[in-house]
Amino acid sequence: MQLALVGLSHKTAPVELRERLAFNDDALRLALKSLVGRNDVSEVMILSTCNRVEVVAESADDHLIREFLCEFHQISPDAVSNHLYSLRNADAIRHIFRVAASLDSMMVGEPQILGQVKEAFRIAADAGTVGMHLSALMNRAFAVAKKVRSETGISQAAVSVSYAAVELARKIFGDLGGKTVMIIGASKMGELAAKHLKRNGVSSVLVTNRTFERAVELAQVFEGAAVPFEHFTDHMDRADIVISSTGAPHFIINKTLAEQIIHRRKNKPIFFIDIAVPRDIDPTVNEIDNAFLYDIDDLQQVIDANLKERIMEAARAEKIIDSEVEAFCLKMQSREVVPTIVQLRDSLEKMRREEIERNRRYLKDLSPEQQSAVDHITKSMVNKILHIPIEQLKQMVHDPAGPDFIDTIRRIFNVKPPQ
Amino acid sequence: MHVALLRLALGLYSVGFAHSVLTALQKKQTLFRPALISVSVGFVLHVIAIISRAMEVRYLPLTQQYEAFSFFGALATLGFLIAYAKYRIESLSIFAFPLIFVMTFVANLFYDPSASIPPVLRSNWIYIHTPLVILGYAALFFAFAAAIMYLIQEHALKSKHPVRFYNWLPSLEICDDLAYRSLAIGFPLITLGIITGALWAQAVWGVWARDAKVLFSFLTWLVYLLLIFYRLIAGWRGRKAAYLSIVGFIGVLVTFLGANIFGGLHTFQ
Repeated sequence: MQLALVGLSHKTAPVELRERLAFNDDALRLALKSLVGRNDVSEVMILSTCNRVEVVAESADDHLIREFLCEFHQISPDAVSNHLYSLRNADAIRHIFRVAASLDSMMVGEPQILGQVKEAFRIAADAGTVGMHLSALMNRAFAVAKKVRSETGISQAAVSVSYAAVELARKIFGDLGGKTVMIIGASKMGELAAKHLKRNGVSSVLVTNRTFERAVELAQVFEGAAVPFEHFTDHMDRADIVISSTGAPHFIINKTLAEQIIHRRKNKPIFFIDIAVPRDIDPTVNEIDNAFLYDIDDLQQVIDANLKERIMEAARAEKIIDSEVEAFCLKMQSREVVPTIVQLRDSLEKMRREEIERNRRYLKDLSPEQQSAVDHITKSMVNKILHIPIEQLKQMVHDPAGPDFIDTIRRIFNVKPPQ
Repeated sequence: MHVALLRLALGLYSVGFAHSVLTALQKKQTLFRPALISVSVGFVLHVIAIISRAMEVRYLPLTQQYEAFSFFGALATLGFLIAYAKYRIESLSIFAFPLIFVMTFVANLFYDPSASIPPVLRSNWIYIHTPLVILGYAALFFAFAAAIMYLIQEHALKSKHPVRFYNWLPSLEICDDLAYRSLAIGFPLITLGIITGALWAQAVWGVWARDAKVLFSFLTWLVYLLLIFYRLIAGWRGRKAAYLSIVGFIGVLVTFLGANIFGGLHTFQ
């Protein structure tokens, strides 16, 4: 197997270039079909997301793929050559494993990429452009991604404000089922946080806003209830989580009010999330028993700590990837070496027989002993010739240059790779 | 046979103990699965050990110190397994496994084959009083562990310096729930334990308040009574309840272990 990967990503190219090289679904099918069969390209798949475009092919020729990309998107090679990367064999395998495991993502550990890789593989499989080699590779990549996810914490910690809010709410309440969230003010970020909480089990939503119509509108989105801004404190004791994001220039929830609410809630805990700037909730509210207040900076601090943790977990993930790449290369190469040896033997044996057959009339006067001596001599010559290449092939199983070496041996002896 | 079984159980519990120590040192749980399996198997052996001891001596094996510790260890294991089945909180193991190990270890240490029931204890009261008290203490241990977990988690949340190490801790609500349920089971048991103890003492000596253990158990009971009162009447929960629960369990430890230190009727020697 010879693997070539050509692509560009958020790490090497600006978005202007990425969008020019991106494939939509129709273009993807067209490109797959027109690439497969060119020169030695026997299998191909293309991953095209907003952060990366990558062509993976069973081919020894990455230049061909570069040319194809430029040609297909009608871009001059000079415009992209500095942004494209070409990887081969073990390097390409490592890259694919890292991409699938979300180690190469803009937000390391984000979960969407694995689905995108699976989808790219499915499209190529439907188009009939993947065979044995890419299937084996991609299935391994999916398994490695799963392993990385389950054995490291890279995708566990929350790294956005809304996720951090959910994570903290879980630390207080455990299961969010049956809990109520109150949204004060109608900001985008507040809405997003509420949406995440709802998706994670929060069952009812109360919305209040200075403009009541806006509150009603938002309440409809969440299938919740709107509360007039003048009376929102009367309803606050029903809320387990309060998200505040008004444009008010002063605190709208002070310590006394929070104490009253806690008292009315019979000390059941309440989680205040203040994402307004300037802040809506007096920071001293956090001093009250059973009240937990996080402002935007506190949430950011949680996120930063989680990001740091992710970097450490990513290092563990890289170790898993390293050993997986090695294991996969070994498996693939040993899978190629044995048939190659058999093919070499068969091919030379065939040559030997043909030569003896061709010279049969000169040999027919020889005695049976002499004839068998000729047979023996030619056989041992074939063995001697093959001895070193076969020994080398066996050793090459562990060598990163293995695929190239196997390819060279095949060319020298003119044997085709097994299909 | 029961001694061999008990030692075997102790060996298996030591895996749980190692798990707790390693988790505290590495700040990461790596051994939980094997520890859980070992402790579960250990528990089965432990129960068989207690049953075989009971069949051998033909009484409920609770009259000697070693038997009491062994019984406590088995109950703590049972309590952990029940709480784990209900809440799936692995972190409880960090508190429970060392207790289980130490109790069983002490039981092994105190084993004395020649010991017989002291004459003063030859009474049916022992089969009522002792199990009630030990059951109660085991339940209160879990209230204590839940309180500690609550305080650690609450501190992490309030200080806003979330440490990932604390991610294995259960949520505040679960900690509080576990603490409350354990208290709701433990308190009636120790109350009955104290009442039966008083009746027993009355029956034997006619008086009962001159023993350090009795005094401490009564003080401890008062702390828990206060806790129940505050929880029910004043709606206390969380931090304040956790503090009181810890004070109460310190009382339990002094009562349970302190008899030999202070002397008195419960020394039984």
